[in-house]
Amino acid sequence: MRTDTKPLPLVETACPTTEGELAEVVRRARAEGTPVYPIGGGTALDYGGIPTRPGVGLSLAGLNRVLDYAADDMTITVEPGLTLAELRDTLAPRGQRLPIDVAEPDRMTIGGIAAMNRAGPRRYGCGTMRDYALGLRAVDGEGTAFSAGGQVPKRTAGYHLSRLLVGSLGTLGIITRLTLRIRPRPETSAVAIAEVESFEAAESLLTSLPKSRVAPTALELLAGPVANQWAALGPMRPGGVARMFVGLEGTDDEVAWMVETLRLQWREFPIAASTVISGTGAGPTGDWLLALPADVAIHVLPRDTVKLMGRLFAALPQVSLQADVGNGEIRLHLADRRPEAFARAVRDVLRPTIEPFGGRMVVLHPGDECAALLSPRDLWGPPPAGHAVMRAIKDRFDPQGILNPGRSIFANR
Amino acid sequence: MALPPLISRLRLSVGTKNVLHAPSEVAVYADDPARIGRRRPDAVVFPESPRQVAEIVRACCEYGVHVMARGAGTALPGGCVALGGGVVVVLTRMNRILEVDLPNRMAVVEAGVSAAQLARRLAETGYEYAPDPYGHGASTLGGEVATSAVGRHALRHGLGAATAVGLEVVLADGSIVQLGPVEDPTSFDLLGVLAGSDGTLGIVTKAWLRLTAEPKDPRVLRAVFDSLESAATAVGRIVAAGLMPVVMELIDQGLLAAVENAFECGFPPDAAAILLIEIQGPPVGLDAQQERIGALCREMGAREVLPTASDEVREMLWKCRKQALGTVGRLSPNCLIHDGAVPWSRLSELFRRIAQIGARHGIRIVHLAHAADGGIHPILLFDRRDPRQAGRAAAASREILEACIACGGGMTAGYGVGIEKAALMPRLRGPEDMEAMRNVRGAFDPVGWLSAGKRIASAENRS
Repeated sequence: MRTDTKPLPLVETACPTTEGELAEVVRRARAEGTPVYPIGGGTALDYGGIPTRPGVGLSLAGLNRVLDYAADDMTITVEPGLTLAELRDTLAPRGQRLPIDVAEPDRMTIGGIAAMNRAGPRRYGCGTMRDYALGLRAVDGEGTAFSAGGQVPKRTAGYHLSRLLVGSLGTLGIITRLTLRIRPRPETSAVAIAEVESFEAAESLLTSLPKSRVAPTALELLAGPVANQWAALGPMRPGGVARMFVGLEGTDDEVAWMVETLRLQWREFPIAASTVISGTGAGPTGDWLLALPADVAIHVLPRDTVKLMGRLFAALPQVSLQADVGNGEIRLHLADRRPEAFARAVRDVLRPTIEPFGGRMVVLHPGDECAALLSPRDLWGPPPAGHAVMRAIKDRFDPQGILNPGRSIFANR
Repeated sequence: MALPPLISRLRLSVGTKNVLHAPSEVAVYADDPARIGRRRPDAVVFPESPRQVAEIVRACCEYGVHVMARGAGTALPGGCVALGGGVVVVLTRMNRILEVDLPNRMAVVEAGVSAAQLARRLAETGYEYAPDPYGHGASTLGGEVATSAVGRHALRHGLGAATAVGLEVVLADGSIVQLGPVEDPTSFDLLGVLAGSDGTLGIVTKAWLRLTAEPKDPRVLRAVFDSLESAATAVGRIVAAGLMPVVMELIDQGLLAAVENAFECGFPPDAAAILLIEIQGPPVGLDAQQERIGALCREMGAREVLPTASDEVREMLWKCRKQALGTVGRLSPNCLIHDGAVPWSRLSELFRRIAQIGARHGIRIVHLAHAADGGIHPILLFDRRDPRQAGRAAAASREILEACIACGGGMTAGYGVGIEKAALMPRLRGPEDMEAMRNVRGAFDPVGWLSAGKRIASAENRS
């Protein structure tokens, strides 16, 4: 239930322009025991539920500079409020990129993307923010600023603290600076799309892929209404159940070879139809593969992805599914948007269905009414392995529990 | 220290034959490859299951004795030596490959499995475990995860920390936790922080390792340079051009001489430096990559840039490279292997500074660099029997660290931090950074039983 209004219970909003100012905001809040809610692009303020404790909004919009761009060394150091679109504009003239796909690059900020460890279809070939964050600075729940990681790709001595902060949802520290590893932009891209009439057919297609020596950048399987979404493709044929999107990047010659190799290989398979779309505008470098506004993200082992998709597809009418089948991530959009139906689907269908697969699941945008019907366990799942250590880490970095309360498994909303 | 009761307790857990206690028995575990530390543990234990590891940890905690995990003992900077006694837990008996799960691109291994063992098992499957670091053959995979050993493929496939998708760990309180292999967006990245933690946060007993497709037509180029600095500049140019070789190994003349002497690889003895470059990708793209790299090397004065002729030659080249460090013994009785990293654009400058440092202290320095990830290993040669030489080598080593920092890099830990570097940590990290790391360590191990003094020189263990 995505909401466009700011759901946070804020008594005031601060907009610091330096790390020092940001630390001061946190120190003051800590002294009063007031929650601090970091705000990047404002696209995930209801992630996992809406916080209830009134607090201070901490906008990162004032910390949005590019601090150092060492193009020859393939690194860039930025402040967290810089949007991904602004970063792309900085890197493109040098033929470089940060290969992280997001749905709203004009709004989503580097800090927010890092805090959520966001990644899109190119994750399969290129990795996540944890692979690209070489080092960072952050302010902890006591208002103390510290550094983690370094400036060079090889790990510098010390713990991988930057990996701990990335994906910690702003609950251990608020990132004030990030040094990112960047990559060269590929010369060209293409997407090969295969339409299948069953999940078993999708499965056999996937199993065959490694034999082809094609190394895709993205490997997505879409089923349900979302699979019919693109005008350029038209709807699936009658009997079509899912579409596999294989994203390919490289030099012109490499991509041409990969497209041809797949075309030949797919002749052996029960594919109802196949298409290739070429060119940088429409491939994985475009954002249309992220069109699914996901309600829920599910993680299982890669090998179980298609089977689970089949079960979810059968259990939920008109559900839309988009999976990174190489990494075992399924994103899902429910058809029935009524809060009670939504809550029922989460609690009575999704949780039990993923459980035999050892799946982990987060409800991304539950919305007010729906969240009220769900427990933290419904929203975040049972306590994960190692949660005692995570609790201990949280207590040390944020003893007062003021950083983004409610935004994690320690749901003290 | 209440030793005998602890020894009895350990014997109960793992069996009498799996506990070494007599001074003569434990002496060999007082040493490490670089011969940094010479501290004898109080006991050495060989568990065969995670449950036994957990019992050992609990028993040691009860008796107030420190615990340290050890694999094959290949970690160079004193990583495998117990500071101030304690119990060393050797994981090498836990050496079963539990599962090769190709549909999930994973190998599930006990911590004591060696990289060579896994490589043999994966042969013919079309998959490999990409990190493949230079302890290859001897080092255990648990140890490699603990030291975040990277080796080849770092530039393309990512660093060692990214390749364990699951870990089974025994924590300081004796609990056994399995993290992964299903990814968990609700969790902090404990996997990421455990990798490279040198055994200070937990003892890895099992790992789910990410496998990658084996390159079908890898190609190795050999470029011969007349100066180390021009080879280093070529590395910088290759990276800046957006080319991404999976490996770039740089060997200088001093080390080359020893390698040639030992293995007769056919390296030209008058080369000042050799760059070995491995490229991967669809066959149609390799020629273009080779051409561009060749052109960049020649621009920097490379006298020849040749692809290797056959698989055997390629394998031999890599064998020489992997065993290069072992040949250092031909050059001097002792050595100090430094571990640093700088941005590629500063590599040449760093080599220049190191040459000056070596000259100033009268210490001969040879070089091995894993240039694809910007990592360098200056090797300082000396004779320990001459204390002045040893002192000059130590002083030169400290200056080399300063030079790395001056060049925008720092000290790395591809071989683990260990004792040698722990004392230097505050030079790289401010007090708040150290505090943050102590917070992480404290969350895992509040009292400090595991690998005391290894990664962060805590107050009570500085020695």
